[in-house]
Amino acid sequence: MLGQGIERTEVTPAEKRILAIVPAFNECGNIGRTVQEIRQTGLGVDILVIDDGSMDATAEEARQAGGMVISLPFNLGIGAAVQTGFQYAQKHQYEIAVQIDGDGQHDPAFLDKIVEPLRRGEADMVIASRFLAKTGGFQSSFSRRVGINFFVHLINVLTAVKINDPTSGYRAYNKRMIGLFAEYYPHDFPEPEAIVVAQQAGARIIEMPVAMRRREAGSSSIRYFKTLYYMVKVTLAICLHMIRQRRPKA
Amino acid sequence: MNIHVVALVVSVAIFLFVIDLVRRRRLTFKYAVGWLFVSGGAIFFAVFYRLLFACAALLGFELPSNFIFFTLFCVFVFLSLLLTVFLCQQNSRNDVMAQKIALLEFELNELKKKFK
Repeated sequence: MLGQGIERTEVTPAEKRILAIVPAFNECGNIGRTVQEIRQTGLGVDILVIDDGSMDATAEEARQAGGMVISLPFNLGIGAAVQTGFQYAQKHQYEIAVQIDGDGQHDPAFLDKIVEPLRRGEADMVIASRFLAKTGGFQSSFSRRVGINFFVHLINVLTAVKINDPTSGYRAYNKRMIGLFAEYYPHDFPEPEAIVVAQQAGARIIEMPVAMRRREAGSSSIRYFKTLYYMVKVTLAICLHMIRQRRPKA
Repeated sequence: MNIHVVALVVSVAIFLFVIDLVRRRRLTFKYAVGWLFVSGGAIFFAVFYRLLFACAALLGFELPSNFIFFTLFCVFVFLSLLLTVFLCQQNSRNDVMAQKIALLEFELNELKKKFK
């Protein structure tokens, strides 16, 4: 089939095929290392980097590191980039998709751990959480933690689900979720809103404790002074989502 | 010149301008329709301005001009909301298209590699 030019792992029928979706926007200097680290886990995952209209050599670096690269013609934002990954995963019938940031914040060493509940069929969606247990690692700045805590309660009130790290973009999904999100994935503030979307579709969402790292190069897209504005916008987006017409269940 | 004549001339000009835009294929009927209704209404009231005064009095406006400004304001708010809806629709279609193009481009490259 496709992908002859790229090293692919031989898949035994009993093994669930895993796709690592790595959204990246101007992540030159980080992306190569992230791809290599995912390969070094030895889990035999296929790595798909979604180059979200980067102006630097992100795509080239990812390709050289051994990842498959889909380049969006212009910057669509994190939500649409990740959704492109889901669409690919759905088309190529992957059993599991893992979303992992290209900025080096997410440690691929935990990949096996967050995929495990999906392999055992215990969950539909697994969120890697940096607050679930004292795992050490980077815990985010104070202002962002206040914001994150706010979303924990907002999502809890709206959906009766307690997610400790709702803004974590390190997640794993089973085939059912891949289908759901290939069809519809929030574009503007995907992380907290996707939890609400999944919950409304009746997904079993669990969290696994992981340690996260500081970003290695570049700067976080949510800057310190923007936290409050981000909180207001995401709250609005989530509330508007709640009153939106329901989509058919996946 | 009489103010009614000025109003009539301006509304007829807008009406004809919209029709000309459609004729020159700069505007499709779908988007021209709103403007045609607005300028058509303006022509109507420029001719039958007594009706406009009666409407204003009926709705409790002290001055007919206030009624005109209020109506225009409402029409423009509605039109811009409508345009935002179109914009939004175009935006999502654009995103879907970009995603599809990217996926197809990737698969095309993979196929090329395979048959090299």
